[in-house]
Amino acid sequence: MLEVSGLTTAYQGMVAISDVSFSVKQGEILTIAGANGAGKSTLLKTIAGMERSQSGTISFEGARINGRTAHEITARGIAFVPENRRLFPRLTVQDNLSLGSFLFRNRPDRDAPLDIIFELFPILKARLNQLAVTLSGGEQQMLAIGRALMARPRLLMLDEPSQGIMPKLVAQIFEAIKIIRRSDVTILLVEQHLVKSLEIADSTIVLQTGRVVLRGSAAEIRNHPDIQSAYLGV
Amino acid sequence: MALSFEAILQVLLSGLLMGLIYALVASGLSLIFGLMDVVNFAHGEFLMVAMYLMFGLVTVTGLDPLLLWPVVTACLFLLGSGVYLGIIRYTMRAKTNRGMVQVFTTFGLGLILMGLAQSLLSPDYRSIGHTWISGKSVSVAGIYMPLPQLVGGVASVAAFVLIWLMITRTDFGKALEATREDAGAVALVGIDKNLIFTLGWGFGGALSGLAGSILATFFYIYPSVGSSFLLTAFVTVALGGFGSVYGALAAGIIIGLVEATTAVILTPALKSLGVFTVYLAVVVLRPRGLFGSS
Repeated sequence: MLEVSGLTTAYQGMVAISDVSFSVKQGEILTIAGANGAGKSTLLKTIAGMERSQSGTISFEGARINGRTAHEITARGIAFVPENRRLFPRLTVQDNLSLGSFLFRNRPDRDAPLDIIFELFPILKARLNQLAVTLSGGEQQMLAIGRALMARPRLLMLDEPSQGIMPKLVAQIFEAIKIIRRSDVTILLVEQHLVKSLEIADSTIVLQTGRVVLRGSAAEIRNHPDIQSAYLGV
Repeated sequence: MALSFEAILQVLLSGLLMGLIYALVASGLSLIFGLMDVVNFAHGEFLMVAMYLMFGLVTVTGLDPLLLWPVVTACLFLLGSGVYLGIIRYTMRAKTNRGMVQVFTTFGLGLILMGLAQSLLSPDYRSIGHTWISGKSVSVAGIYMPLPQLVGGVASVAAFVLIWLMITRTDFGKALEATREDAGAVALVGIDKNLIFTLGWGFGGALSGLAGSILATFFYIYPSVGSSFLLTAFVTVALGGFGSVYGALAAGIIIGLVEATTAVILTPALKSLGVFTVYLAVVVLRPRGLFGSS
């Protein structure tokens, strides 16, 4: 459902990803691994339309999407939870969630995804009237994922969802990712926490200084002799 | 100086009515600043354009200004959004010194509009003669209220109620709030920030259109009329807190009251003294203004 081929993007004047190609099937989880600065975040931002690609193509459900603006890409069914979450800090949890379904504002069932969101993250229900800025790091991550789900994505992209979050909540977030994929949502997951992400992934690509250096099923990557060095990015 | 109770009420009431109009003038400035951190130095000229537009429409159509308020307000909505789409949008792309680029752009736009008015319409003072409400007044328990100011004050309150309803009750209002918070993030929920900016400038223009429509019924119309109101509007915005529309309402009322009181206690020529004294006190004691966020 997503095909990336020969994608090159410069970030602040430097080539951040170079000639990256991969594809994901509907309902799969693909993890993108690699050291800091390997280009993982730039790859997701380029797909989301927040960075411009220099060459290559991104096609989503058969249509080319690179060159489209970020809000158009969201409207096509790709939701992105960036590394710094980008919540609306001085709006309530409720407002953040209902902004998530802005594209469905004229539909009577705009709030339909709320049931599953509260099932995944019950704490959000208790925090509905709090400002987003008052949430803990883990709760903010849950809200960011919740807001993304309100947009009813067919492709969900998560950038470092476990970053800076206490271990108990990390487990909850990974559990949630597994449940989300059961509803046929395709997931791209950028994660430093390689062992944990390989547990839930179907396939993996490993980036090193902007290039794909390894690819395969999660099991192949787990057993690959080079994974340690590739992951450390030496 | 001893003042009777009625005289004090009289002063406070006229201060309140003028203050509501100051608040309306400042609200558009504050709305745009809060939305995208751009100070529109041409805001006073938007007001001037609205007043001339009203003058021209009244002259051409012979209709009463009250009937033309919606027309002028709608035209200024178009002017505001047009200025964003045609000019301001491009200043957002400045890689360095974006703030300065925007200051000079809006300041220059203001000068151009004023210059055009001077050369095309002459620097003469004009005023709209007979209207349904001009020269009339309402008297309640010995307090005398000029009808144009009274109608203007009521319209200003109504405009603030509408802004409040729009921000708190509509999806557009929520999108506006979200864009104020993080314009770069609204694309994540499928909102086009350029559309929100365009509408924001449109509403900012419309508010100056309404304020200009009100002022045109009892104030002289001349090419630099905007500058005198813009200075008060800046003080209002700073006093209320940059970017806070409700702050502009509170600050506008305070400024109107202080101005009217100072004019009576000292002399009308020194009416701004009290206003700037209050402003200095706020800047020293609470630099972010009454309702500004830190």
